[in-house]
Amino acid sequence: MSTLSVFLFSLVDFVGSFHPLLVHLPIGVLLLAALFQFLSQKEKYQSLASAVGISLFIGMLSAIASCISGYLLSGTGDYDEGLIFNHQWSGIALAIISIVAWYLNWKGKQITWITALMVFLIVLTGHFGGSITHGSDYLKRAFLAEASGQAEEKRKPIPNVQQAMAYQDVIKPILTSKCYKCHGPNKQKGKLRLDMPDFILKGGKGGKAIIAGNTDESELIKRILLSKESDDHMPPLEQPQLTKTELDLIHWWVSSGADFNKKVADLAQTEKIKPVLLSLQSEEKAEAALISDIPEKTVGQADAKIVQELLARGVAVIPVALNSNYLSVNFVALDSITAKDLQLLEQLSKQVIWLKIGDSNLDDNNLKSIVKLSSLTRLSIEKTAVSDAGIALLNGLPKLTYLNLVGTKITAKGLTQLKSLKDLRQIFLYQTAISGSEFSQLSKLFPKALIDTGGYKLQFLESDTVELKSARVN
Amino acid sequence: MKRDAQAQRLAREAEHAALQLHTRRHFLKEGAMGFGALALGSLLGSCGFNVSSAPNAMFDASNPLAPRPPMFPGKAKSVIYLHMAGAPSQFEMFSYKPELAKLDGQECPQSLLEGKKFAFIRGVPKMLGPQANFKQHGKSGLWLSDNLPHLATVADEIAMLNAVTTDQFNHAPAQLLMQTGSSRLGRPSIGAWVTYGMGSENKNLPGFVVLTSGGNNPDAGKSVWGSGFLPSVYQGVQCRGEGDPVLFIKDPAGMDRDLRKASIDAINKINQEQFEEYKDPEILSRIAQYEMAYKMQISVPEVMNINDEPAYIHEMYGTEPGKTSFANNVLLARKLVEKGVRFVQLFDWGWDTHGTSASGSVDIGLVNKCRNVDKPITALILDLKQRGLLDETLIVWGAEFGRTPMQENREGKDMPFKGRDHHAAAFNMWMAGGGIKGGTTYGETDEIGYDIVNGKTEAFDIQATILNQLGFDHEKFTYESQGRPFRLTDVGGKVITDILA
Repeated sequence: MSTLSVFLFSLVDFVGSFHPLLVHLPIGVLLLAALFQFLSQKEKYQSLASAVGISLFIGMLSAIASCISGYLLSGTGDYDEGLIFNHQWSGIALAIISIVAWYLNWKGKQITWITALMVFLIVLTGHFGGSITHGSDYLKRAFLAEASGQAEEKRKPIPNVQQAMAYQDVIKPILTSKCYKCHGPNKQKGKLRLDMPDFILKGGKGGKAIIAGNTDESELIKRILLSKESDDHMPPLEQPQLTKTELDLIHWWVSSGADFNKKVADLAQTEKIKPVLLSLQSEEKAEAALISDIPEKTVGQADAKIVQELLARGVAVIPVALNSNYLSVNFVALDSITAKDLQLLEQLSKQVIWLKIGDSNLDDNNLKSIVKLSSLTRLSIEKTAVSDAGIALLNGLPKLTYLNLVGTKITAKGLTQLKSLKDLRQIFLYQTAISGSEFSQLSKLFPKALIDTGGYKLQFLESDTVELKSARVN
Repeated sequence: MKRDAQAQRLAREAEHAALQLHTRRHFLKEGAMGFGALALGSLLGSCGFNVSSAPNAMFDASNPLAPRPPMFPGKAKSVIYLHMAGAPSQFEMFSYKPELAKLDGQECPQSLLEGKKFAFIRGVPKMLGPQANFKQHGKSGLWLSDNLPHLATVADEIAMLNAVTTDQFNHAPAQLLMQTGSSRLGRPSIGAWVTYGMGSENKNLPGFVVLTSGGNNPDAGKSVWGSGFLPSVYQGVQCRGEGDPVLFIKDPAGMDRDLRKASIDAINKINQEQFEEYKDPEILSRIAQYEMAYKMQISVPEVMNINDEPAYIHEMYGTEPGKTSFANNVLLARKLVEKGVRFVQLFDWGWDTHGTSASGSVDIGLVNKCRNVDKPITALILDLKQRGLLDETLIVWGAEFGRTPMQENREGKDMPFKGRDHHAAAFNMWMAGGGIKGGTTYGETDEIGYDIVNGKTEAFDIQATILNQLGFDHEKFTYESQGRPFRLTDVGGKVITDILA
């Protein structure tokens, strides 16, 4: 008995699942019948009159079949009841009208307004059906596609995550992007709806979606964690999956009590979740931390003509990144730097932040040009004639964080002139006149900077030059 | 008379044959196909098949090596990739496994062998304990064997990847996977990708240079530095340590530099005419290559000459000018990076220690190989550091796979020397400089280093990390070929954020 009922139930589901396929038959066939009827009034197409009856008959049968399968499908409870009501009754009305139309045709009568009503009902029912499967705004969406597509992608940046609302600002956006499609206002697969706190707490067919503080029993989390091979895994494989961060956030929210009205700061936070929460704090910031060398302030585009002229000279002038106007400049390919080159460079003073102009004929005098590049953060003038006499000019580069003076004649005394450069983080002094004893004095002057005087040596090991002939004894 | 008639008949036949090719039926058939193709093309076009409106926008055929910005500001500006071809044994270098020492000489349990395939091991092999002593080094306490005494002094500069894994256990496919992202031929190498993305900062030098040592090229051949479907200008330029650094870089006898310049100009002019006729961008690449070759005649011999380096640098690296050695190549790598070369790829051959000979054993041959590389690699790290270049130069050390914790028993027989078979499941690699956080480790293997426990690192992850350090998102860095965009990391890869500074 029970196996039979199980079979019947699955049969119901099976037949119901044909509804989306079947509905297209009455749409096509009944419209065709209406067309035949309309055309057959013309003398040229009179012969079509005999096809109207059979078309109406087949259309009628398919309309009835659609009604039955549709009714069975609605029983699965995956859809919004309001939308189903409209669709169901307009569909039934259509079936009845098609029966009437066929009956009239059979009796040899032809009433135009009945056919017109039938066409109208086809359009109406079709629209309601479309609203169920594609969402009630499916018609508008085509026009809004551009704008809404982007809006969905980008989560509203959170300026201070600890002051943000845990549900509203952190959890809801995740549910919106990953769950609403099937568990939202339009569809409630498994009788679950996740777009309002009450619905979330109510849960679905499979049980409570979340149980505050108990992540192991919360169906929502259980299903997300299920292996992808499992049929119960959520979201379904063809849909976008939750990222590790999103899962961590939901897990944290449920385990900390799943409160809908508290701020992030008011919920318990483990060490593990803190960096995840912090990562929500406007994503650009996280990236900026990774590449600390780029000024936060944006800058206008460099004069393309000057960039072109320098490029033609063989100077590598490139933006530090695709979407940045800041420039990195490298003179490595040039045999000798001319006054003209430096003059061109000066005109990029706002944009150039990284400059490599070492191993060249640069001298103290040329530093006057370099110092005009007031945005500079990294400067390599290694192996040049730059000396104590000119170095003081570099005080005009307050943003400097990296200074490479390897192989210059700089002395400790010369370098002390730069003590006002508070942002210096790295100073390279290998092969300069600075001796090891002056090192501690310099590191006091530049407490934040890593000063490297180089001259590393490797230990002499006999084994380096000897080839092993037989196995060593350990 | 007769000949005329014959000629006329032949002419008519030819005409007829030509007409047959263009009957109305043929025209309609071909026309219909054409319309179909047009329709299909527009259909596909409107279905979002064209992912980017300007595919391969980075490629400027007239100046393919022009310097280009990365996607975001990268920490590293160049890469030195040290590939130990043949696969060194991690158990004698980086992977400290005291449990394995206890199991030395015992038969490998069946559970480890079931369903596994090895290159040479057959039947039941014996476990082989570590053939080196391990100690912790630096503040980070990195475990290193006494085969690497110099590297131990810079332990805190290194980020060690303990759980690298691959699915290839033969040299050539495994090398291809590591270097090109595919175990089969035809994909561009990572150096080619980087050069395609960033060009060359130095217009006189190639963006991607390859140096080999150890007496052989890697098993996978030159494809491991090939350009695959990228324009051929991005393939690695192999330079030699002795003789001319690049073959045929000298002017041929009887031809002076001016004449050479004139002939290159003439060739380029002809090529330019060809390009105007056929519009094939490869022709522009070829023109650019000729120009580059001419410029390289001056710049390459200069940069490839290590004679002018001071004695203490030679002592530091253990270099001997005039020879082909790994040490010389490492010093050249530093010089090339100083000169703005983006990607320097070193291959050192001879790490395949199966135990078939003394030089191919883990307790003799491997020790000598370690002695060859330990000092120069350490010198490279320190030398880049003192020149202020370590932060912007990413050093990657690795191989195509690792070696088994079992002793190899080729064809089920005992081997004359102690050796290990290829092992794909778990091995070590490391990175340093270029925005990598020194003194870190990532990943863990089981007590005998047979399999990974956590921190699984695949070739794609390493490639993704290298690209990330240079300023490229490996998921967005694509090249369109055969109608679809390709990525170095195919559909895999995640940046190993745990080791980033």
